[in-house]
Amino acid sequence: MTREEIKSAILNMFKEIFEIDNPGLDDNLREMYQFDSIDAIELIREIERLVGSELNLEEKDQAMGIRTINQIIMYVESLFEARSIRVN
Amino acid sequence: MERRVVITSCAAITPIGRTKDEIIHHLINGVSGVKPLRDDGLLTQHMHSRVFGTVDYPIEYDFKRQFKKTMGPVSYYACQVAKEVLENSGLTQDFISSGKLGVAFGSTHGSPTSQREIYRCFFSESNAKLSSIGAVDYLKSMVHTTAANITKMFSIKGRVISSSTACTTSSQSIGFGYEMVKYGLQDAMLCGGADEYDTTTVAVFDNLLACSTRYNQTPHLTPRPFDVQRDGLVVGEGAGAILLEDYTMAKKRGATILAEIIGFSCNNNGGDLILPSLDGISETMRLGLENAKISPDAVDCISAHATSTKIGDVIEAQAIDRVYGNHPVVVGLKSYTGHTMGSCGAIETIIQLYMMEKGFIPKTLNLDKIDERCAMIQHATQVMEKDIRISSVQNFAFGGVNTCLIFKKHQ
Repeated sequence: MTREEIKSAILNMFKEIFEIDNPGLDDNLREMYQFDSIDAIELIREIERLVGSELNLEEKDQAMGIRTINQIIMYVESLFEARSIRVN
Repeated sequence: MERRVVITSCAAITPIGRTKDEIIHHLINGVSGVKPLRDDGLLTQHMHSRVFGTVDYPIEYDFKRQFKKTMGPVSYYACQVAKEVLENSGLTQDFISSGKLGVAFGSTHGSPTSQREIYRCFFSESNAKLSSIGAVDYLKSMVHTTAANITKMFSIKGRVISSSTACTTSSQSIGFGYEMVKYGLQDAMLCGGADEYDTTTVAVFDNLLACSTRYNQTPHLTPRPFDVQRDGLVVGEGAGAILLEDYTMAKKRGATILAEIIGFSCNNNGGDLILPSLDGISETMRLGLENAKISPDAVDCISAHATSTKIGDVIEAQAIDRVYGNHPVVVGLKSYTGHTMGSCGAIETIIQLYMMEKGFIPKTLNLDKIDERCAMIQHATQVMEKDIRISSVQNFAFGGVNTCLIFKKHQ
């Protein structure tokens, strides 16, 4: 997936699942949208679907520190890279 | 320290409506809330009973996302009635979050709809993994999901009691909440119960041959408490919540007092987990009267558990006769709503409050010919005007748990 495709998928995910419409890419999700640890776990599940494989524990731990949409996009990019899927 | 405990707010979602006016309309006009069983595409086609006490009207929820994400259908019901109770109570948010308000709220088994989603991955041929179980599935389905979601939504920081004792769930909630306030452990308690539509609940009773099956084509004619043609209970859905508070506090803040709780009892049959016990439920009634410090003659009206099972109604009538004789008027309110399981005690309490306020007793619906084994007590065979000064709500559950709540009209 391209970075733009990842961004689009993440924003769609936030709109459909978390009912957060067009958040700023650097907004602090916890502070501005009450995006809490339960949401983070749900997000991991959705990201697993997006990348098409389960995340290992180390990868899941990394996700818990994420605060912004930009960080999520970079995180997903890194997952694709780790799975040797080319990011344009 | 023993404090007087009063009810200052209530709200219900029932098969016969949500508002006081709707519910009273059904009771006065003898209109049933029992409808055909909804098809879940799973179990309904295998069941003998095809009737259900149904909430089939739309409810507009305005819960925010951060609350909805941990709520199964049962918590939607629970939080809605809790919201209405708190909104109508006049309590400030400062008090609600002070730790002086607790919650006693339960359901029969959490949210079976959410539990079904969890188990689906174990039996699905799809590519199920551990991650197929959602992060919030447990929070939606756990036994205390109603109480937990109420505390979250309204920032309630007092005690939490979440009984899950089948048909006595919410009468225990009210009773245990009453004791919390009575003995000064909390100044107020939000009490009640809820249960969502789920056919597994119906299947449990269907398997035990306890459900009504002869009226599948005419749902409004069943259940038939104490009637010679009764053939079993009708499962239903709904929710009820009431606010209990210390009498002195209620007076001081000028709250509307709907009634006073003057007695509560709870015991166990200590034996069979299904069959009701004449000795057990008689003792519950006796203990309730003792707790209320009143004689049997003081009770004007009894809301009987009266599920319409062949044995249960006979034993309940015998117990009422043994403890009360034929003085109080006995009404079976499940004839209107079906058996709303974990919420029945709260719903029947709220209906009793309406009856007290309006001064009437509805007839037991479908009681066309009284079973002679139940005929020794005074049945409500027609709607009647009645000044109810003291009433009782009694409920009995699988597991042998019995409860009796006693209410006094506020003068």
